[in-house]
Amino acid sequence: MSASTSKQNLVPKENLVPKETLVMEHLVSLTYSEELTPVLDRYVDALIDGRIVGHKCPSCGRVYVPGKGYCPICVVPTTAADEIEVSDHGTLTGFTIITPVAYYGQTETEPFVYASVLLDGSDSNLGGQEIVGVPHDQIRSGMRVRAVWKAKTDRSAEGVSNRGWGSVSSVIDAFEPSGEPDMDRAKYEEHIF
Amino acid sequence: MAVTDIAVVGYAQTPSSRRARESEVQLLVPIVTEALQRSGLDRREVGFTCAGSCDYLTGGPFAFVSNLEAAGAWPPISESHVEMDGAWALYEAWVRLQHGDIDTALVFGSGKSSPSIPAEMWAQQLDPYYLAPLGVDPASLAGIQARALLDAGKATERDFARVVVRNRRNAKDNPNAQVAGDFSVDELLAAPYVRAPLRKHDLPPVSDGAVAVVLARGDRARALCERPAWIRGLDHRIEVHQPGMRDLTTSASTTLAARKAGYDGGPLDVIELSSTFSPQELILRDALGIDADSNVNPSGGPLAANPVMATGLVRIVEVAQRIVEGTASRGLAHATGGQVLQHNLVCLMEGD
Ligand SMILES: [Zn+2]
Repeated sequence: MSASTSKQNLVPKENLVPKETLVMEHLVSLTYSEELTPVLDRYVDALIDGRIVGHKCPSCGRVYVPGKGYCPICVVPTTAADEIEVSDHGTLTGFTIITPVAYYGQTETEPFVYASVLLDGSDSNLGGQEIVGVPHDQIRSGMRVRAVWKAKTDRSAEGVSNRGWGSVSSVIDAFEPSGEPDMDRAKYEEHIF
Repeated sequence: MAVTDIAVVGYAQTPSSRRARESEVQLLVPIVTEALQRSGLDRREVGFTCAGSCDYLTGGPFAFVSNLEAAGAWPPISESHVEMDGAWALYEAWVRLQHGDIDTALVFGSGKSSPSIPAEMWAQQLDPYYLAPLGVDPASLAGIQARALLDAGKATERDFARVVVRNRRNAKDNPNAQVAGDFSVDELLAAPYVRAPLRKHDLPPVSDGAVAVVLARGDRARALCERPAWIRGLDHRIEVHQPGMRDLTTSASTTLAARKAGYDGGPLDVIELSSTFSPQELILRDALGIDADSNVNPSGGPLAANPVMATGLVRIVEVAQRIVEGTASRGLAHATGGQVLQHNLVCLMEGD
């Protein structure tokens, strides 16, 4: 835990309390350290190797990327025996173009894209993906995309966490249009997120 | 008057471990399934689901949403979550069952303390002006509480050690315990202080674990379980947040909760207390009026396994299991929340 002052205002100026009122800044930092779960261990090893793997539910056949170690629909455990490789090509199912406003911790200054990508062979989206190689006003649901992999030497496990976010960011820089015709809406509309 | 025909009819818990490699949901999936199987209830028949957990433990925002996947939340189910020990999730389910329109409920509590630094993290539970910025950790507050007990002449350090010896010995019979074995009082008293007057053995282990319970009411309970553990009374009471503003050597809220739960001071075959620090067992015994020779924490209690957010619900399971299996007829389980026994729950259970 540390108390410190920041150059950025946490509170808009007009909301600041009068000077004579005592103000205490209480910035908290908490430390967490853990190993990746065994399922994510194998996932990240495959990613560094250039392969994207998930778990296929032995009961319903749905594929989750990354694997969870269970199927949340059927509530049955899944293991390394249920591991399956999926494509690095997929369909953009949904997206948001974010115009950043300055707030504490925000490092972005220009509009950027957060997109969900449904990889071919997977039933779960990769969330929060950057889309490059296409003007923002041409990004659309159904657009076919492919992974832009980092050079093998630049890949790491850093972006993968047990918290489930940023699951490929330390291995795949972004997704770019693949040039394939758009996917039929019926084929991905169950996956829009 | 509370309905008294609601019972525990199924349960399961993970062994407690210092560090589980699996995710919290992975800990929950098999035990939720096992608790339902034990009761013979299909998960699609569950009327209401309630979970207790704390996102701060693993540092995963909305981790409690993932935990729900262990219950099979698609198609959508009727569910709720408390950022409290699973015992309070059971309390909410018990209240929900009293509406009378459903007759089964699934409850679970889970926590992985291993990724965090508990002393750093739990300080944030305190008030943000005076105590949280100081980083006052639970063991320090428990040390202050222990010191108050000594100063009041209510206990000695030897009494604390006796509590530990008995709990660790009891834990030898508990396959889910993390700390168990035979120790002597003198051997324990020779250890150095970690938060005077507390030694390491007066503190609970850091644990990862999970527990699940199935509740049912009336004839449904009788159909699902040969000998249901009927919840005769369930109540919880809370005291002031600031630990400096109450007498730490007593637990008025426990006494009140026990009275409101209908505990009349009669004989109990089994008592499971959330005495997370050894002196708290003495305080809780006193607050409940429990005799020195009573069967307290046959599981070894939180000093043997402390999967935070499941610890209190485990107490309920330990009592319920003994009633269901026929080795006990009447028992009392206690759960606690907050620091140094701020918030206390008492669950009184009986067999037919
Ligand atoms: Zn499935």
